[in-house]
Amino acid sequence: MSAILLVARRDYLGYVTAWGFWLGLLLTPLILGVFMLAPVLAASSQPARYFTIVESGDSFTQAVRAELQDRAGQTAPDLPRAGLTGSLPAFILVPPPASGPDELAAFLAGEKLVPTAAGPRPLFAALIVSDPSGTIRYLSKNLQAQALLDIARAAERKVAEDRVFAAAGVSSRLIDDARSARRDVVAQRVGSGGAGRALDVTLQDRAPFLVSIGLAFILWFLIFSVVNYLLMGTIEERSNKIFDSLLTSVRLPQLLTGKLLAVLVLSLTLMAFWSSGSILLTWLASSQLPPGLVAQMSILGMAVLKPMILGPALISFVLGYLIYGALFLALGSLCDTIQEAQTLMTPLIVLLMVPLFMLTIAIDDVGSPAIAAMSWVPLFTPFLLILRMPTDPPLWEVLAQLAVMVLTTGLILRLATQVYRAGAVHGAGLGDAGAWVRRLIPGRRPSGPDSRT
Amino acid sequence: MKATTPLEIVSASKSFGPFCAVDSLDMIVEPGEIVGFLGPNGAGKSTSLRMALGVLAPDSGEISLFGAPPNLVTLRRVGFLPEERGLYKKMTPRQIITYFARLKGLSHRAAKNRADALLDALGLTAFARQKVSRLSKGMAQKVQILTALAHQPDFLILDEPFSGLDPVNQQALEELIAGEHRRGATVIFSTHVMEHAERLCDKIVMMARGRKVFDGTLTAALQTVQRSVRIEVATGFDLAGCLAPWGVTAVQDAELWRVALAPDQDPQTILRTAIEAGAPVTSFLPEEARLRDVFVDLVSDAEARHRQHSRHSRAEVA
Repeated sequence: MSAILLVARRDYLGYVTAWGFWLGLLLTPLILGVFMLAPVLAASSQPARYFTIVESGDSFTQAVRAELQDRAGQTAPDLPRAGLTGSLPAFILVPPPASGPDELAAFLAGEKLVPTAAGPRPLFAALIVSDPSGTIRYLSKNLQAQALLDIARAAERKVAEDRVFAAAGVSSRLIDDARSARRDVVAQRVGSGGAGRALDVTLQDRAPFLVSIGLAFILWFLIFSVVNYLLMGTIEERSNKIFDSLLTSVRLPQLLTGKLLAVLVLSLTLMAFWSSGSILLTWLASSQLPPGLVAQMSILGMAVLKPMILGPALISFVLGYLIYGALFLALGSLCDTIQEAQTLMTPLIVLLMVPLFMLTIAIDDVGSPAIAAMSWVPLFTPFLLILRMPTDPPLWEVLAQLAVMVLTTGLILRLATQVYRAGAVHGAGLGDAGAWVRRLIPGRRPSGPDSRT
Repeated sequence: MKATTPLEIVSASKSFGPFCAVDSLDMIVEPGEIVGFLGPNGAGKSTSLRMALGVLAPDSGEISLFGAPPNLVTLRRVGFLPEERGLYKKMTPRQIITYFARLKGLSHRAAKNRADALLDALGLTAFARQKVSRLSKGMAQKVQILTALAHQPDFLILDEPFSGLDPVNQQALEELIAGEHRRGATVIFSTHVMEHAERLCDKIVMMARGRKVFDGTLTAALQTVQRSVRIEVATGFDLAGCLAPWGVTAVQDAELWRVALAPDQDPQTILRTAIEAGAPVTSFLPEEARLRDVFVDLVSDAEARHRQHSRHSRAEVA
């Protein structure tokens, strides 16, 4: 076995035999699952909210009922959004227990309860319609929950239309006809081979966008979760004074390569465990899942295998890992203690948060000029190139960004080797790094024995 | 540079910024020798050994291990114990020795067998599967020495191998080094404890302030300091006056008299002369030259030269 593989094997076994690794392996999907499902579970498990409308007539009340029915009938099978936004809680209209805001206040505060089919319950909100020309008052203790307020506003738009049209002599039948004559606005894509023929947008069309967001997130998450191992592993070797023994058996580039390889395999282990776990769980629960969902998941799975996604994603994954892995490895070699490393972690984590922020932008608009511009920043290219691929960027841009990544990786590996050598062989520390940077500034000569680097 | 010569250093220098750690060092370690590499702290011993191993590159000069520049092939024949000890704390002694033996080219099975044999030889079998973090300092140091020996190297480079060990373990290590030498290994070890070098070494290389101040056999080293005899006579007797007509100079040293010996002079001739001169000798003690004296003399000289050189340099600058 070559020295690189021996170093990689030792480091890998060192990582996987630590209890922290198994904790992360098992807890991470659990925590992520809770994070993703929490809004949905919270919405589905929360109790029905009772509200009332105080109105002299019933036009607004009817409009609110219609709006509630409309929204309940809407399907929202947008996979990524379902997890992010959750679904509406159930709103149930009850007869007003009182007519004025002062009397209603006790019900809204929970001091008095309203009779419902499920027994006495507190009142969540009250809408008071004073007169046709005045404002509609929305009273609730929970002013952060905007859903019922939105429903009320939408209902009032219809009531106002009815009132104005009626005043203009338009019959209610004509208004209904006008509403039923509204055309649907359907999202379509231009067919590439159909001579301008437009085709309805399906999940198959949206899958590359969803998958690219998912892959970029996986890359970010893996880098975020494993580079820490490199940092801590290097600090351990430095504090254990083991470099001299190692460097008489392996060359420094071999040592670095072995270490990077170990953590790369570690990240692949995590990915393989989580992927196979997800597939197994899906397979076990396939009979319980809605029939459409399995088909949707297979569409997403097939989208990953598209060469235009998979190719750049694999290159970005490897190069992105090497860039950040080498950075953390080099910085770890300058630290004697975990406390020293922690001072470095904050700026690095802030740096790693930028691509995560770009991911949130991509969820709304993957073609955002901000993503295109930021994808030229070498440290972010691995994440953002993956995001951009479904938008069919010009080929020259893809090739140029791949070249930027390769050059950046080479440069950072070279730099990291020098820093690692300074830290591992010469015992240089963070203070020496500062002096080394100062030396790069023309005309400045550092003071002190920093030339060891 | 012969392929059989374990180590040859020619005019090697190494500076760290303005500080010259090693200045034009020449040194040869011949096959089968045990060389003591002596010098005070900061003399440049560790830097020289790290250069010999290729861990540090010299600023100038040449270094060869078995006739070639230090590389992974030649380093496979070398076992190294660094001055700064360190092991992977979460590994067991057996795993660590196996790992380093494998890095030196042994197969998995051979490395494991060798680890077991070495641990058994040093009575560490009971601790073979315990994590290093649970071992005592002395035991961990033994394990580290075993990592250097695991692949049965032709050439052992040991940097301060005795530091941190209690007298019992120092004795055990001396026996281990002697055993490796009997096996055929060439050994160089650095130390500033002269007794180890006196007991083990054929050859001494001494450094001070980055420069080599002595290179030769132990006997030659001992000949660089003057031997003497200590004579005790009846109180009030003037031994100097008594021996002066015989051409022997005695110097009073507290209650005793000290007489310096010529390089090949037999101490018994002084005793005979004193008795023949009628001196009332009550005790007579020949003082053998010790490596400690050689060390102190040579290092003191080097320090004095360095101070003088520094004063000249400052004067020239002024």
